[in-house]
Amino acid sequence: MLEKINLQLRPEEIAALNLRELYGQYGYSFYRMSRFEEYDFYADKKDFLTTGKILTFTDINGKLMALRPDVTLSIIKHIKEIPGQVQKFFYDEKIYRVPKNANNFRELSQVGIEFIGALDSKNIHEIIDLAIKSLQILSNGRRYVLDIADAGLIAKFITHNKRAIMKCISGKNIHGLRDLNAPDEIIKLMTGENIPAELEKIKTFYPDIINIDFSAVTNLNYYNGIIFRGFIEGVPDSILSGGQYDNLLHSMGYKYSQAMGFAVYLDSLEAVIN
Amino acid sequence: MINIALPKGRLGVRVYKLFEEAGYEFTGILDNNRKLVFENKNLDMRCFWVKPFDVPVYVERGTADIGCAGKDILLERSPDVYELADLKTGFCRMAVAAKNDFIDDESKILRVATEFPNIAQNYYSSQGREIDIITLRGSLELAPVLGLSDVIVDIVETGTTLRENNLHVINYIADLSARLIANKSAYKFKCAIIDEIIKKLCSN
Repeated sequence: MLEKINLQLRPEEIAALNLRELYGQYGYSFYRMSRFEEYDFYADKKDFLTTGKILTFTDINGKLMALRPDVTLSIIKHIKEIPGQVQKFFYDEKIYRVPKNANNFRELSQVGIEFIGALDSKNIHEIIDLAIKSLQILSNGRRYVLDIADAGLIAKFITHNKRAIMKCISGKNIHGLRDLNAPDEIIKLMTGENIPAELEKIKTFYPDIINIDFSAVTNLNYYNGIIFRGFIEGVPDSILSGGQYDNLLHSMGYKYSQAMGFAVYLDSLEAVIN
Repeated sequence: MINIALPKGRLGVRVYKLFEEAGYEFTGILDNNRKLVFENKNLDMRCFWVKPFDVPVYVERGTADIGCAGKDILLERSPDVYELADLKTGFCRMAVAAKNDFIDDESKILRVATEFPNIAQNYYSSQGREIDIITLRGSLELAPVLGLSDVIVDIVETGTTLRENNLHVINYIADLSARLIANKSAYKFKCAIIDEIIKKLCSN
């Protein structure tokens, strides 16, 4: 429809519109916000950011402002907790980050969803289902996979040398974990000797697409439960990532709710389109 | 098709020999010529020589599905890749070395010459020591001899070069060897073949 009236949309913009339609169908409502936040907000929450680099400027009142490096933090900050109620939002925004290996800031397109409220297994499955449907939309006929893991289990077993162990986990570096005397429980999760039943159950919904892979676990400050990452063949980086982030929610003063969400990085799409 | 990035130089030759022993042969790859890309159509594999520091770049960006890199380079660059195996070859150590008569004055900022500024910075940060990093591209031993730096952070294999220049190791930072790395996304879709390569490389 949109193509017919020749809006000259770029493929990633079409993908974004398709994703917005999908999330709308699942009862998520569109959330729009300012691109600016006060810098202090990020200084307080820097443990939850994957980047320490923030683009700042001074507003007309002399206040130090930042161009948003992350969407989830802003949504959680601006909405109010409604005990006993579920809130579902999706967004289609720009974020400002220095991508890895880049030497300056870039404006990146991100589309994603946030679920805030009581999370039960039905909700979790719906979010995983949406992640997979998103990958399908983006894949343009290529193969895709979703790695899932449980960040809570790593947080439970990790005792010492956390930074070095987390690095080995994200690098699937089993020999490194052994050198660091990482807890056996962690090594068994990494090698697949121990597969948690909860993840096994999720895998049965899409056995060909879901991999149980603990290298998906990152940032234990942010994530505390199920965590996942989507990959499309031919795209060198993960294109989708998300998980359960009650830790972040509670640090922002929420008392009763849980939260889960994911983001899609549309700028990585180019590889698939060409 | 599996694309493999190998580091030019001594370590690369050693690693390639592991590939050859495992049955992955690339005709002419060790000949002394300027060719950089070698293909084995039967194996559906392609191999190319790149500068050792660039191996993680090719792998991280997916131009190579897998690659072999020294642990020194992985520690220095911290690429976002999978480090799937220790190839148990090219053993050496990252060390701090100084002149034989060097006495560390801890009240001063330590001048450190190195090809590995991140490794040096991380090491001294973990000790709470303030340093002045001097990044060089080789012949590190010269720096303390000529007074450019107090110490060097460098790879030490046998220690012969250090001895010849009246230097000695004062601390070891890390054990090094060649590692097999893989692009995260490529590994998802070529896992069976990559695992088979690793199994064969590590069984020798």
